[in-house]
Amino acid sequence: MHIRTFFTDARHSNKQRSTSESRLVRWLLTSVALVFLSLFLLIPLWAVFSQALEKGFATYLTALHEPDALAAVRLTLLTAAIAVPLNLVFGIAASWTIAKFEFRWKNLLLTLIDLPFAVSPVISGLIFVLLFGSSSLLAPWLSAHNLHVVFAVPGIILATIFVTFPFVARELIPVMQAVGTEEEEAALTLGASGLQTFFRVTLPNMKWGLLYGVILCNARAMGEFGAVSVVSGHIRGETNTIPLHVEILYNEYNFAAAFAVASLLAMLALVTLALKKFIQWRQEVAAGAAEYQ
Amino acid sequence: MSIQVQHITKQFGDFAALDGINLEIPTGELVALLGPSGSGKTTLLRIIAGLETADGGNILFHGSDATTQSVRERNIGFVFQHYALFRHMTVFENIAFGLRVRPRKLRPPKQEIADRVHELLRLVQLEGLAKRYPAQLSGGQRQRVALARALAVEPTVLLLDEPFGALDAQVRVELRRWLRRLHDELKITGVFVTHDQEEALEVADRVVVMNRGRIEQVGTPTEVYDQPASPFVYNFLGNVNLFHGRVHDGKIEIDSAAHAGVTVGDRDTAATVGYVRAHDLDVDRVAKDVSSMAAVVRHIHAVGSSVRIDLTLQVSNEPAEAQISRERHEELSLSVGEQVFVTPRRVKFFGDYQI
Amino acid sequence: MKWSFKQHSVIPGFSLALGFTVLYLSLVVLIPLSTIFIKTAGLSWVQFWETISSPRVLASFRLSFGASFIAALVNTLFGLLVAWVLVRYRFPGKGLVDALVDLPFALPTAVGGIALTTIYAENGLLGSLLARVGIKAAFTPLGIVIALTFIGLPFVVRTVQPVLQELDAEMEEASACLGATRLQTFCRVILPTLLPALLTGFALAFARALGEYGSVVFISGNMPMKTEILPLMIMTKLEQFDFAGATAIAVVMLVASFVFLLLINLLQWWSARREA
Repeated sequence: MHIRTFFTDARHSNKQRSTSESRLVRWLLTSVALVFLSLFLLIPLWAVFSQALEKGFATYLTALHEPDALAAVRLTLLTAAIAVPLNLVFGIAASWTIAKFEFRWKNLLLTLIDLPFAVSPVISGLIFVLLFGSSSLLAPWLSAHNLHVVFAVPGIILATIFVTFPFVARELIPVMQAVGTEEEEAALTLGASGLQTFFRVTLPNMKWGLLYGVILCNARAMGEFGAVSVVSGHIRGETNTIPLHVEILYNEYNFAAAFAVASLLAMLALVTLALKKFIQWRQEVAAGAAEYQ
Repeated sequence: MSIQVQHITKQFGDFAALDGINLEIPTGELVALLGPSGSGKTTLLRIIAGLETADGGNILFHGSDATTQSVRERNIGFVFQHYALFRHMTVFENIAFGLRVRPRKLRPPKQEIADRVHELLRLVQLEGLAKRYPAQLSGGQRQRVALARALAVEPTVLLLDEPFGALDAQVRVELRRWLRRLHDELKITGVFVTHDQEEALEVADRVVVMNRGRIEQVGTPTEVYDQPASPFVYNFLGNVNLFHGRVHDGKIEIDSAAHAGVTVGDRDTAATVGYVRAHDLDVDRVAKDVSSMAAVVRHIHAVGSSVRIDLTLQVSNEPAEAQISRERHEELSLSVGEQVFVTPRRVKFFGDYQI
Repeated sequence: MKWSFKQHSVIPGFSLALGFTVLYLSLVVLIPLSTIFIKTAGLSWVQFWETISSPRVLASFRLSFGASFIAALVNTLFGLLVAWVLVRYRFPGKGLVDALVDLPFALPTAVGGIALTTIYAENGLLGSLLARVGIKAAFTPLGIVIALTFIGLPFVVRTVQPVLQELDAEMEEASACLGATRLQTFCRVILPTLLPALLTGFALAFARALGEYGSVVFISGNMPMKTEILPLMIMTKLEQFDFAGATAIAVVMLVASFVFLLLINLLQWWSARREA
């Protein structure tokens, strides 16, 4: 492909117009942008897989089959399996409240839902240590009942729920606001009950936003490091999630194994991005169809 | 089924959307709620439907109080302004929805639902589009699907919110004639909201003119057009000329021309305004009688079935508009700048009323 | 109807949905978060001040705020460039590049951290190139800036992109008709329009960078007084069971985050008002 046709203006392909830059400038800007993205995105991504396979495919598989690695995978799956559905139910309730009704303090509620985004992951872990740790008010009661929250699995799950709290709600609210309330009103005038309206009208209308939110929520739930790191006891095979297992291997200079396990998470990230792109494409198709008359 | 609206009030913050509305809609009539935006017409429609609750007053369906009934219980058909079709359902599924969500005991069998939907599709002339999605339909087609969907549950009352508002001019005219024919066929009590006077006058059996949360006049299209009850109705329906004048010696003087025989009470030298429709204003080369006024031709619009003439009254410098037939126009053969005399055939006086 | 909590609606389920929302929000977010402030209230001023004014903590304050600021600045500049190229130009693989921009959101931070450390270490792919010109990246503040640039990269791109897409082409044509050069049009017409989005993106990237932990701890080397970031200081205090110290630092960070949250809301309100 010639450079002549390689870098073209997206809006009007060939002609140089008054509202476009010269070919040289376009070429330069595109190159700089691509180099920047390569340095910060492409090369790190490539590094994960190349380091993972550096010592051969056999070593790679061994690292993944190791009992501690498998235990980490199990714990990560368990954590996501609890955190994502809970935050999904919350997301639906919150978006239903905010998008379908007008009430006071709505903006405050919106801001509070966003709160965990503004909190450092380390602090997200710290609050659960303060709440359930050895110096907390609950500590005597917890130890009397032999309950372990911090430095145990419940702490990891709680911290993950906190960190992934806003994801589904954040995706659903704008989708539901854009749809409006007329279709629900129409369903009610036609005699549908509240539940029928929700399952037959509201839910199908927000399914892509829902899926999108769940995917992002899941990616973060499985990949969270800072918050989980604070509340985990770092006990191999017991309280290590995949990211924590990666850390341990890395700090032991077992790079090939660390990257092998990390490559699982990188693949999860790539699948997440692919699904995200797919959903965006589906929505564009739907929007395009809506414009056709 | 007849509808009675009794003393309905509705307040949005400090704004009185509806201010003590009383209205009777007899069985089988098609009624238009006509008014500018903010007049409360859509709010009234939504209160009748049960989509909105009134702050005070009652809604009666066929004599029985429906005020506390929910929208589901009222058995109404509602056509939304933007149709509110379920976008993830086909045309067929949209129309079948109301039947499918019925409790199992009341739900018709599948075949019956299918027959009913196809019958409705025939009625709204959309056979063959059953499998399409709303996004694949034109505006007029969507409108008819929305109507079919509302009719599927066999409502006792059909309510339509700006049914033609979102359509382009040509489709709109076609569709409103079709709606009129459909109503004559079905004989269902219907209420529709519109801000388009032409639409209201052409389609409705009876027009309710609303303004600022109150009803200005209720009447047949002929009544509200020919005998407006208030300056607002005069102004809202059709082109109208305003002549400012005074009451003097029991007569009204506009532009020093006297209008005898008009009683406006005994308030001498009170300011008043005369309302004259454009087609009630005669144009002549000579003064016909004492009520004729001198004016200058400013512009002649000779397009369409009649000819519109823009004028300026000579004494008061007020603008005026006359509408005359093509024949009369040819007979006069006026030119711009010429001096003529205008004579109102029909004037209605209200007290000093500023629009 | 003059004063009511909620406008009437026929749609059911408000009380149930609001009740659940508020209950879950309180249990998961508000009550746990309040422990920080309760714990701080238990500290004396002297204790609090001693913790946050100790030289090691002060150094990490400077480092965290400084590195986050620089990273956010880099991201603002390059984010604008990337958004511009993605919206305005056509090149092979554009769809792929567009999808890849979100990688830092999707990739767990620990994975990003070890990957960047490997590349920018002295024997790494890019680290060795930098070493040749005498620059050390990994285990220095520069490495921290690199990691923070990585995790903040999508923010500016994703805030500017939609605004750029919606930009009225007629505005640029008008500017050209009035005799402005392309550069003048960019600086005087396009840039001011993008300003709220750019500032929002900057604030988001900065706030995220300030709290970031996973991607930084590997590349920073964590040397006291030199490359210890604030979240790491909290971690260190916790490991020494110094809950009061950890809480004191956390409170300062939380307040900074809330200020940013407020700022971002104000910026969005400002830009919404400009559009209306």
